[in-house]
Amino acid sequence: MDFSVLVDQFFALTIDGIALGFIYSLIALGYTMVYGVLRLINFANSEIFMLGTFATIITSKNIFGYADDTEPLTGIKLVYTLLACMLASMIVCAIAGVLVEIIAYRRLRKTGSNRLTTLISAIGVSIVISETVRILTSSAPANNPRLLDKIYLISYMGSEFHIGSVRIPISAFEVRLDTLLVIVFAILLLICVDRFVKYSRLGKGIRAVSMSEQNSQLMGVNLNKVISSTFFVAGLMTGAASFFYTTVYESTKFNVGFELGLAAFTAAVLGGIGNIRGAFFGGIALGVLEIYAATIFGTQWKAVTAFVVLVLVLLFKPNGLFGESLQQARV
Amino acid sequence: MVFNLRDKSAELWERSPMPSRVAITLSAMIFAICLPFLGGTFLNTPISSYEAVLVYPVGLFVLMALGLNIVVGKSGLLDLGYVAFFAIGAYTMAILGTTTSLNFWQILPIGIGLAMLSGVLLGLPTLRLRGDYLAIVTLGFGEIVRIVALNTMSIGGPNGIANIPTPPKFLSLEYTLQNQKAYYWTVLFLIFLVIWMIRRLSSRRPGRAWESIRQDEDVADLMGVRTLKYKIWAFAIGAAIGGAGGVVFAAKSMFVAPEMFTLNTSILILACVVFGGMGNIWGVITGAVILAYLPERIRFISDARLLIFGLVLVIMMNVRPDGILPRKKREKSLHS
Amino acid sequence: MRKVLELKGVTMQFGGVTALNEVNLHVNEGEILALIGPNGAGKTTVFNVVTGVYKLTKGEIVFNGEISVVGKKRWQITEAGIARTFQNVRLFGEMTALENVITAGDVRSKSGFVGSLFGLPRSRREEKANKEKAIELLKFMGIDHVANKLGRNLPYGDQRRLEIARALGTQPKLLLLDEPAAGFNPSEKAALGETIKKIRDAGYTILLIEHDMSLIMGISDRVVVLDFGSKIADDSPKVVQNDPRVIEAYLGVPADAS
Repeated sequence: MDFSVLVDQFFALTIDGIALGFIYSLIALGYTMVYGVLRLINFANSEIFMLGTFATIITSKNIFGYADDTEPLTGIKLVYTLLACMLASMIVCAIAGVLVEIIAYRRLRKTGSNRLTTLISAIGVSIVISETVRILTSSAPANNPRLLDKIYLISYMGSEFHIGSVRIPISAFEVRLDTLLVIVFAILLLICVDRFVKYSRLGKGIRAVSMSEQNSQLMGVNLNKVISSTFFVAGLMTGAASFFYTTVYESTKFNVGFELGLAAFTAAVLGGIGNIRGAFFGGIALGVLEIYAATIFGTQWKAVTAFVVLVLVLLFKPNGLFGESLQQARV
Repeated sequence: MVFNLRDKSAELWERSPMPSRVAITLSAMIFAICLPFLGGTFLNTPISSYEAVLVYPVGLFVLMALGLNIVVGKSGLLDLGYVAFFAIGAYTMAILGTTTSLNFWQILPIGIGLAMLSGVLLGLPTLRLRGDYLAIVTLGFGEIVRIVALNTMSIGGPNGIANIPTPPKFLSLEYTLQNQKAYYWTVLFLIFLVIWMIRRLSSRRPGRAWESIRQDEDVADLMGVRTLKYKIWAFAIGAAIGGAGGVVFAAKSMFVAPEMFTLNTSILILACVVFGGMGNIWGVITGAVILAYLPERIRFISDARLLIFGLVLVIMMNVRPDGILPRKKREKSLHS
Repeated sequence: MRKVLELKGVTMQFGGVTALNEVNLHVNEGEILALIGPNGAGKTTVFNVVTGVYKLTKGEIVFNGEISVVGKKRWQITEAGIARTFQNVRLFGEMTALENVITAGDVRSKSGFVGSLFGLPRSRREEKANKEKAIELLKFMGIDHVANKLGRNLPYGDQRRLEIARALGTQPKLLLLDEPAAGFNPSEKAALGETIKKIRDAGYTILLIEHDMSLIMGISDRVVVLDFGSKIADDSPKVVQNDPRVIEAYLGVPADAS
C-alpha cells in the first residue's frame, strides 16, 4: 500500500480519474437506460462497446488509411477525421444495440419469459459477439494511430515546501488535450441525452415505459419503437465512449469489454440503476476511485476495485445514490 | 404428437414395481462402469493415442453440470462464477498435495469442505439480491478468485503449482497417465453419489423449497418456505460438488494454474445445464455429454467451442427454454 | 372475544405517497371480516404489511395478542399462523396441485436438510403426514380430482380454490383472502361463499378483501371500509351499506345530492 504517489500526483490522478469516469458514465448509460425500460441488465453492452473500439480503429486505419506510425494531424483534417471516427463508432454501436434487442430479447419479451431465461440469452449474445471478434482478430490487439497528439496544455511538475521538518507536497497538475476533449465532449453528450429524455417526444415515451409498461401502452406509446430507440440512444453513448477510450488508450482487444463493462455497470448501480443522472455521478465517482486504488494498491487490483464497490453498494445501499430499489418484492 | 421422451420414460419408471426399478438402475450403473471397455474409436479423440480418453473429461463435465444444476436449474439462482469452487477444490489439492503428506483421499473431503464453506460465505451476503444482480456478483467472485490466485506468489502466481501427486493405489486400481479409467471411475462414483443425493432431496422438503424458490420466490416466502436457508444450501451443495471435481482435476492434471479457471469454464458448464433442460438430472447429463463430447471429436469446432456455446445459450433460450428434454405435462400416477 | 389481529396506528408511506394513514382495526377470533373500499384505498397494502411484504412506516401490528408482526421475516409470520392468497393467482405453476399444498405444509415440519437426505425416521413420518393432510385439504376444497395436475394446467376456478387450499396448508390461525371471487360468475361466487363459511366453521379466522357486495353481505360478520388509506367505517354489513360516507367514497358524490 503506497500512498506517496497518490499524494504527490493527486490532481493529475484526479483528472485522469474524471476522464476515465466520463467514459464509464457514457457506457453506464447503456446499462441504465435499458434497465429503465426493460428491467433487464444488458450484458451485451460491454461487447457493443468493444465493437465500437474496433469501429474507431477500422475507420482511422482502413477508411482513412492512416498507419500506426502516422504523424499526428492538425487543423481541419484533424477535426473531421476525429468526428468521422466518433460518428462511425456511435452508429456501429447504435445499430448493434438495436440488433441485439431484436435477436436476443424481443422474442422473450413477447412470450413473457422469466428473467433467468432472458439473462441467459443476454449472456449468450455477449459471448457470441466477443468470440466472433476473437476468432476474426486471432486474439491479437489492434492499435489506433495517434491522430490527436497528446499535447500537454497545462503542465505543472508539482513541488514541495518544508515547514521545519514537515514536508508539504503540492501535487503535480497536468491537463492533456485528449483528456480535456473527452471531458468536454462527454459533458456535452450527457447534457444532450438528459435533454432528449426530458423534452423530446421519444424521450417522454422512454420515461413513460420505464415507469409503467402497461400504462404507457394504454396511452398510445409504441412499445417496440420506444425500446428500439432506447437501445439506439444507449448505443450512441456507448459508441462515443468507445471512441474516447480508443483515442486515449490507443489500443483495443476482443476482451476489452469485460472489465470496462463490469466497471460501467458498477457505475450505473452506484448512481442508481435506471437513473440517467445517477449514471453521470456514478461514473465519475468510480473512475476516480479506481485510479486512486490502482495507485495505492497497484494496477493489477484495478478490476477488483469495481467489484468490491459493486458488492458494497448492493449490500448497503442497493438504491445507489439516486435510484430505485432493486429489492422490491412484487406482490 | 411428438414422442415426448422424457415424459414417456418417467411414466415407465413410475409404473415399474420396485424390483424392476432396481434392475434398471443396476444395469445402467454397470453399463456406465464398463463404458471404457467398450472399445471402438468413439471414445477416443482423433489425436490422442490413449484409449477411451474421453470418458474422463466428459464425466467431469457431467459432474460439474449436476452441481450447477442444483443452483441454477432447480433453484433458479444464476451463478456465473461456478468455476471458483472448482478452482478452490483444485488449489486445495495442489497446495496440500505438494506441501503435506496427505494423499488424494484425505484431501478430497478437505477440498469439498473448503469449497462448501466458500459457497456459504459467498451466499450469505449475496443471496438476498435479485437474480440479475446475483449473476453479476457471482461472476465477479469467480474473477476475483482467479485474480487472487494470479497475484498471490505464495500459491504460485501465474505459474501455478506443479508436481501434484496422483492418488495412491486404491485396492488394485492404479492411477497413472495410461490408466485414465481409474480417474473416470472415481468421477463416476462421485456422479452416482450426487445423483442419489439429488433424487433424495428433490422428492422431499429441500427439493420442494428449491422449486418454489425458482418458480416464485416472493410467494414461497409467504408460504413459509425458508428461502434464504435453502438458497444457501443450494449454493453450498453446488459448491461442494464443484470442489470435489476440482480436487480430482488437480490430482489428474498434476498441475494447476490460474488460467485454467476462467469465466469461460463457468459459461461452458452453464451451457450444459441450459441445453439439457434446467432442473432435470437426465437432461443435464445428456446435455453435458453432448456438449463435452462433440468438440473433442470434431476438432475443427474446438476453437469455436465457446462461440458455439454462446449460440447454444441464445438459441436454446429463444426456441426451447425447457431444454432438449422438455417436460410437457407431468401427471404422475397416484402410485408413487 | 379475543382479538386475533390488531392494527394500531398503522401508517405506510412510499416516498411521497401515503398508502395507509393511521389505520386502526382488529379481527376477532372466529369471525369473517370484510375489508372493502374503492380501488387504491389500500386494502392489499394492509395484507402486505400484515404479512411482512412491506416494512411499516409507523404503527404496530399484533397477532394473537402477543406477537408483534413488525420486523419479523415473512416465513416467521407464516409460521406464527398468518396465511394469504393473492389478487392475481400466484400458484407454483410447475408443481402439481398436491405439491403446492405439501410445500405450504412444510412450514410445520421440524425435519431439516440432513433428515431429508438420509431419510431419517422423523423426516419420513412428516412426509407421510404432510401428504395425507394435503390430500384432505384438496378434498375439503373440492379439488382432489386434479391433485396430480400441474398448477398452470388447471381451470381458473380450480386455481383459485387451490390457492386457498395451499394457504390452509400452512395451518394458519388467520386466513387472508385477496379477492377470492374475482372472475367468478354468480353461482360460483355463491359456492365460494359457502366454502368460506365452511372454513370459518372449521376454526379459522378470515380477513377478506372483496368487491362483490352481495357476497360480502351474505357471509361477513363485520365490514371495515378504507378510502385513500384511512378507515372510514367499521361496523356490521347492514350499517356500513347505508353509511353515507361509504356511499360517497364509492360514488364520489354525497348520497343525497342529485
